[in-house]
Parts: sequence; C-alpha cells; structure tokens
Amino acid sequence: MGNDRVTPGSQTSLREANRARIVSAVQQRGSLTQVELAGVTGLSPATVSNIVKELTSAGVLHTAPTSRSGRRAQQVTLARNLGLVAGMHFGTRSLRVALSDVAHRIVAEQRMPLPPDHRADQGLERAALLLTEMVDSVDAVLSEVLAVGVGVPAPVDVRTGQLSSLGMLRGWDGAAVPQLLGERLGLPVYIDNDANLGALAEVRLGAARGKQHVVYVRASHGVGGGLVLGGEVFHGRVGAAGEIGHTTIDDQGPICRCGNRGCLEMYVGAPVLLDMLRPSHGNLTLRDVIARAEAGDAGCRRVIADAGHHLGVAAAGVCNLFDPELLVVGGELADAGEMLLEPLRTALTQRTIPSTAGPVPVVGAELGAAAEVRGALAVALDTVTIAGAGAVVV
Amino acid sequence: MTGSTVPVLALLGVSKSYGAARALVDVDLQVHAHEVVAVIGDNGAGKSTLVGALTGALVPDEGEVLVDGSPVTLSDPSVARGLGIAAVFQDLALCANLDVVENLYLGHEAQRGPLLDEVTMEKHAWELLNQLAARVPSVRVPVAALSGGQRQAVAIARSLLGEPRVIVLDEPTAALGLRQTAEFLTLVERLRERGHGVLLTSHSLADVQAVADRIVVLRLGRTNGEFDAARTSYEELLAAVTGIQR
Repeated sequence: MGNDRVTPGSQTSLREANRARIVSAVQQRGSLTQVELAGVTGLSPATVSNIVKELTSAGVLHTAPTSRSGRRAQQVTLARNLGLVAGMHFGTRSLRVALSDVAHRIVAEQRMPLPPDHRADQGLERAALLLTEMVDSVDAVLSEVLAVGVGVPAPVDVRTGQLSSLGMLRGWDGAAVPQLLGERLGLPVYIDNDANLGALAEVRLGAARGKQHVVYVRASHGVGGGLVLGGEVFHGRVGAAGEIGHTTIDDQGPICRCGNRGCLEMYVGAPVLLDMLRPSHGNLTLRDVIARAEAGDAGCRRVIADAGHHLGVAAAGVCNLFDPELLVVGGELADAGEMLLEPLRTALTQRTIPSTAGPVPVVGAELGAAAEVRGALAVALDTVTIAGAGAVVV
Repeated sequence: MTGSTVPVLALLGVSKSYGAARALVDVDLQVHAHEVVAVIGDNGAGKSTLVGALTGALVPDEGEVLVDGSPVTLSDPSVARGLGIAAVFQDLALCANLDVVENLYLGHEAQRGPLLDEVTMEKHAWELLNQLAARVPSVRVPVAALSGGQRQAVAIARSLLGEPRVIVLDEPTAALGLRQTAEFLTLVERLRERGHGVLLTSHSLADVQAVADRIVVLRLGRTNGEFDAARTSYEELLAAVTGIQR
C-alpha cells in the first residue's frame, strides 16, 4: 500500500486515487465499517462516505447496516456479483478447495484426503475436477472464476511459480503449478508456500489482524513458517524464507527428508509424533492424539508438550532476529491449544532477550485448518482488478 | 487399539469355490477396532466373495470367521449384524420414496406409546449425520432428492444405528463423482475416529491410499501381500495387484 500514499497532482486524479485506495482496502480485508475504512486509508470520514456512496451506486461496493461498540455503522463489502475466486491448499495428506465471492464470503468448501507421496499431475487433476464440480454445485460456470490461488507445503519461487526445493515434496519437484493448472482450467493461477498463505490469512483476517510484523508457524504433517514484515509476506531469494521446519535442533539428530540432520521437523512433524506413540498406543492419527490428550492420556500429553518445547526453541531464534509483535501457531497440531502453547511460551521466554515490552505473545491461529486456503483465496483476490474502481463518472 | 491386540473381526484360512472357479484360496484377514483396512484387487480377485464371507451373505467352504478371537458361524446377514458387523453394499438398499429419517428407522421405528416418536428419531438422525460431517439439506426430504454421496452417508448412518464395531463397505466410491468421493473419504476418517473398524474394497488405489491404515491385495483369490498404507508406494501396490515379480 506504500505508493497509495503518494499525493498526485490534479483534483480528478486525487479522487481516482482515493477511490482505488478504498476499493483495495475493502478487497484486502473483506468487510469494514466506514469508520474503520477511514482509519485504514487515512481519508476523512466525509470523503469515505462520499466515495462509498458513489461506488455503491456504480455497483462496485455494497453497504449494509451493522453496529460497532453499540453504535450504528455501515458495513462495506465488495458487491457480490463481481465474480468468484478459488483457493486450493495441497497438504501432505489432504487437499482443501474453497470457492468465495469477492467479498471473502465462502460459498463452497471441500476437503479431500490424499494418498501419501501424491504426485503433482494426479493431485492437480483431482483439484481441477473438484473445483469444476464445486463451481457447478453453486450454479456458476468456470468462466465466472476470476483467479485461483494455490498453496503447497514446500518453498515456491513466486516469480516463476516453480517449486524451488528439492526432495521436500516428492513428486512435485520443479513443478510449474500455474502453467499446469492454468492450462487445465483456462484461468490465471497464483501459487505460494502454504505457511506463507496461512501467515497472510492470519494477518488479514485472523489472529494477527492489524499487526505489521508477525511470525507464523505451521505444525502439521510437516513444519513450515511464514514471515510477515511490514504487513507484507517476506519471500526471500527463492521463496524459502521462514522455513522454520528445517532449522537444526540437534547436529547429531536423525536424517530429515531434506537430507540434513536433526531438523525441527524430525522432532515435531506428525509422523515422528505418531511413531513415538506406536509401541504403547498403536496406530493413531494426529487428531486421535489431540483428542486423547484432551481426555487426559499422559503419553499423548507428553508428546504434545515436548513438541511445544521444540517449537519454542526454534521459534526463539526467529524471534531474536525479527522481534515480531506476535507469534501465531497454526496447522493441525495447534488444535491442541494450551497443551502445546504453554511449553512453547516457556521455551521461547527462556531463549529470547528479556524486553521491557515482555516476551513475544504467542497465540493459536484463529482460522484454524482453513487459514492456508483463506490465504490462497486472498492471493487470488489481490490479483483481481475491480473494473470501475478508478473510472466512476462523477 | 490400546492394549487389545485381538482383532474384532478375522478370517483364518478361508476358501470358497464356485464349481471350478476358486474365488478365495486360504485367505487370512484381520480388522481391528479404530482401523481402516482396504482390500484391493482386479476384477475377479475375490473381493466381493470376501465381503460376502465377512457379512454372512455366504458361508465359506473351509476356514474360520473369528469375532473377538472366537470362531463364529455367520449363517446369514442378521447373525453378522447381531455380532456387530454392519455392511453397506454398492446398491445401498435405500427406499427412494421415503425420507432420510424413515429410511434410517425402517423396520425398527422408535415409539412412544402407540405412536411413532418422530422427534427422537429426527434428533438422533441429525446427531448421526453431524457426527459423520455429512451435508444433508434436510432429514425430511425423500432420498431420491439427494446426491449419490449424500445417499451413501444415509446408508452408512443407517448401518451405524445398531452401534456396530466393524463396518464393511463394498466398492463405495465406484459410482461417485469426485466431490462426493471427497466427502466419502472424509466420512471414513470420521468412522475411524469414532472407534469403528472399517473394511472397504475398491478399485481406486488413490482413494484407498488416502484413508487406509493397512492395504490387503487380493490376486486370483489369494492374498498377494499386506501393506502399511503410509509406507507403500503406488508402484508397489500396482505390482502386487497385477502380479509383477519384483
């Protein structure tokens, strides 16, 4: 949003820039009241009110009465009939596809378990078919979808759209997802690392709303992370920034799928946790472990607490480097709540510089398992140019 | 599975012939509680015969069926149901003109005095469908108005009414679209979480690998390998199904 602040020369271009600023704010945050809109854009409430009125009659925005802190207010969203966007999240063992309108309202969502070591061609084929069936189910056609956002659990070079890691997601190495999926669907496709998308969603719509510097850690089958610096996702050189799962915990530790030794993922990843419980508890899933821990099973509680400790140790390094306003923990393991977060906070506090502001606050993801797919929707939505936003005849 | 290693349902050396055609030859199989076992194989590999032997639809020529480790004779499907083994077949056996609640309780309606207790039945129907995370628009619509996936959810919910310990699903995804398959696979995960043992047969390796804990491959009536689903590649399974020597 940096260039929005540049004051242009003439009156007309100023109005145009202000209109664009309001539309882009609504586009990013889904829905805002007029007062919040004034706060976010830095425009006066009167200007906001005028422009919103103008854009509503032009069919770009939609307003509805609501209340904030007991006072009447106007809720502003993008008009629903502008089109749809799709988000996809390929996890290690599941696929999630969501379809939303431009006002961030989810109209269809579907989850599908995936086989271990799924391949790019088969996964994308399934996702494309699933999306087509979902679009059908809401009585729309594929051409109404404006853009597709995709998240994958491996580093992605967002400039080329290629997976930039080797061996992290077997069967997907070097896959150019935007081209492969774009050809099938005939739609523009944008891709990013899933933890980056989760971070984006939490900053825009979830637990870290309004924060500028946030670290997001995603603990599930694998362990990933996203860095938000100055309100923007930081990608680094080829998209590997924030990959906290592959920081070394123990130089003599077990060999990781990435080829190095003692990575965080070898202490916190779901397969490792489940293997630890196999001799005593048999075959479990991560959801079973969390459910049993909640029911008081000592072994399951211990495994989750130890995972929290390891996450805290690794997160401490990141917090010392970036001093974020908030650490958000997402992924399936975060469903364990305080059982995971309490030991995480302890380990983090013991390893970060004591500050007058206190230790970095740690919270669970507000969007839960849907964070990544919501981020994919947000990325898709960001690329959509709303026709008429800048060209309303006054 | 904590503590108990005795399978809820097991086959021991089961054989079945139809004249000269040997449908099953000396097959062993185990289903534990809280576990999804998939049986895969080509056409004519013996999957349907296996399901028949497990659900009491047919009696094997040789071998034993064990429930909780003790041998039983499943002379017909009602005996199997009585022992906690429920089955959902490909045709689902639902009455298309009846609504969801009527289908669930057909033949064993809840009663209050001389009247049907519709409130209890409807409440319980919603409870079951919600536990399965099944998306049914209303429990008062005729089954004919539901999609293939939703009908399957109703059939599975009906099989859950007697609180079975093992649910046997024969070719559940064969007639489903991808969206409905996605819903079905999620449903199987829910069944597993509820502590049921699940046995499903399928042609689709991708579907099976997505939800199963163990995969048993049948080839020409014989067991051609048993695999840990999380550690077996698609190619290994394919080789076992087709009988390639590796």
